[in-house]
Amino acid sequence: MEGSSGQDRQAEVTMSEWVQRKDFVGFTDDDAQLLRNLRPIGEAYADEVVEELYRQFFRFEETRVFFPDDPKLKAMQKQYFLGLTHGDYGEAYLANRLHIGRVHQQIGLSPRWYIGAYSIYTQLVFPQIMAALRADLAKAQRTFLALLKVIMLDTELAITTYIAASEEVIARQSREILEISTPVVQVWKGVIVAPLIGMLDTQRAQQFMERLLTRVVETRSSVALVDITGVPMLDTRTAQHLLEAIAAVRLLGAQLVLTGVRPTIAQTLVHLGIDLEGVVTRASLEAGLRFAMESMHLQDATRNEHR
Amino acid sequence: MNAEHAGEVRIHSESDIVATRKTVRTAATQLGFGITDVTRIVTAASELARNVFRYAGSGIMRWQALDTGGRIGIELTFEDRGPGITDVEQAMQAGYTSGGGLGMGLPGAKRLMDEFEIASEIGKGTIVTAKKWHGRLGDSTS
Amino acid sequence: MADESITVVKVRDVLMVTLPADPDDASVSALQMKVLQMMEQYDATGLVLDISAVETLDSFFARTVAETAQMTALMGGRTVIAGMRPSVAITATQLGLTLGSAMTALDVDRALDTLTDAGQRGQ
Repeated sequence: MEGSSGQDRQAEVTMSEWVQRKDFVGFTDDDAQLLRNLRPIGEAYADEVVEELYRQFFRFEETRVFFPDDPKLKAMQKQYFLGLTHGDYGEAYLANRLHIGRVHQQIGLSPRWYIGAYSIYTQLVFPQIMAALRADLAKAQRTFLALLKVIMLDTELAITTYIAASEEVIARQSREILEISTPVVQVWKGVIVAPLIGMLDTQRAQQFMERLLTRVVETRSSVALVDITGVPMLDTRTAQHLLEAIAAVRLLGAQLVLTGVRPTIAQTLVHLGIDLEGVVTRASLEAGLRFAMESMHLQDATRNEHR
Repeated sequence: MNAEHAGEVRIHSESDIVATRKTVRTAATQLGFGITDVTRIVTAASELARNVFRYAGSGIMRWQALDTGGRIGIELTFEDRGPGITDVEQAMQAGYTSGGGLGMGLPGAKRLMDEFEIASEIGKGTIVTAKKWHGRLGDSTS
Repeated sequence: MADESITVVKVRDVLMVTLPADPDDASVSALQMKVLQMMEQYDATGLVLDISAVETLDSFFARTVAETAQMTALMGGRTVIAGMRPSVAITATQLGLTLGSAMTALDVDRALDTLTDAGQRGQ
């Protein structure tokens, strides 16, 4: 496996976190040394272990697909296992393991399979270690525990990268959903409509405001109709965000008109003491559109007067 | 890409307020903050840098990239050996609604950032620390 | 930092100012005086501040602009702020900044229209 690619994003696990994880499982320099000592033995049994592993992969349909009997793949697998006894568990090791985790997520291999593989590896390796170090059982035990620690750390990294990559997909999809559910449509020259569905939490409000303001500038609109028919109820937070949106649109030089102000919303606004001084509001989107058109006509008329 | 993780600007003259803005803008942009968040961070930095210059005459702004458990952020520290703030509580209220006066700086900066701390001692000086975080890896809150 | 002195141009009865991306405090203060001097010199009826290039609008800038609008009004002129960027508008709103009596417009064209309309309506 190549080392980490030159990517711009931040690592899912930083060096300081890696040090902390090793500390937490109690992986010490002694452990690293024990594993380094294990290296020649590791090199001796690596092929055999990979073969056994692939026999197991073959028995299950899911892994048969991901791990076909391919010499190149097997060679990479061998390299991976040898990495466990390489002896250096610093930055390069971390980068390598993170890369592997990402690749697995990208190809769609769920952690359960390659974590299962670790388990198989552990079972295959244990007798090898016992055989090689039978003269010193205490050492054999420490060595095996050292190997277990490093396998546990690898498992943690695999899970972390998998979750991080999955969350990235979710975040991207959420944004896309948000884009779809908050369309800002230009209905006329100078008039855009943004229907709001649901409540506005801070993050949603930020995204909404940015989209709205950007669209105002892009379309050079004088009026932005924000329709809240789809907002079930108005809490203080949502109302506050709406007020901010109104103020921000005004700073751009356009006007935000709040439409879809139903009786219950009107009551809530008054009860919450929300000051809508200077804000144009209408009960329905239709009424809002009428206002927008009138306002546009008025602007055009005045403009035409001086020509 | 060898991105920097920390930096500083010495605030001795009025033009250092602009220098602070430019440095913070570059830093925040490099850390992947979206344009609106960058604007918030730079504006907060501008307020705090001006405070340092106007109240203490000189001081220093330090910035540092933050990286904790997958969250990326930026930390700004404004330190001066000025007269100190007599009543921090009041300073955080002062000028807030009036939209004028130098008192705008602290409460304004606090609103724009996610975390905000002031340590001040009369006759010794003031340290203001402010942090802003953005979303998960690869998710830019533009 | 180089002295960013900001230019004020007279277009008919209106004073036009195009602000740079990151003006320093001294330039902004100097601008205020320059505007008022030109208001007197040309008996202008309006002022347009084009901030489409401005990346940061903090409380000092906002206060100076609000003051300038107030002073300009006292000298018989209306002020329009044109071309504020979305990110700047959102930040300014979050800061609670106001621009005083200054009006706002999407761009310089609209700003001029606004001043003409206001003038026609005899305000």
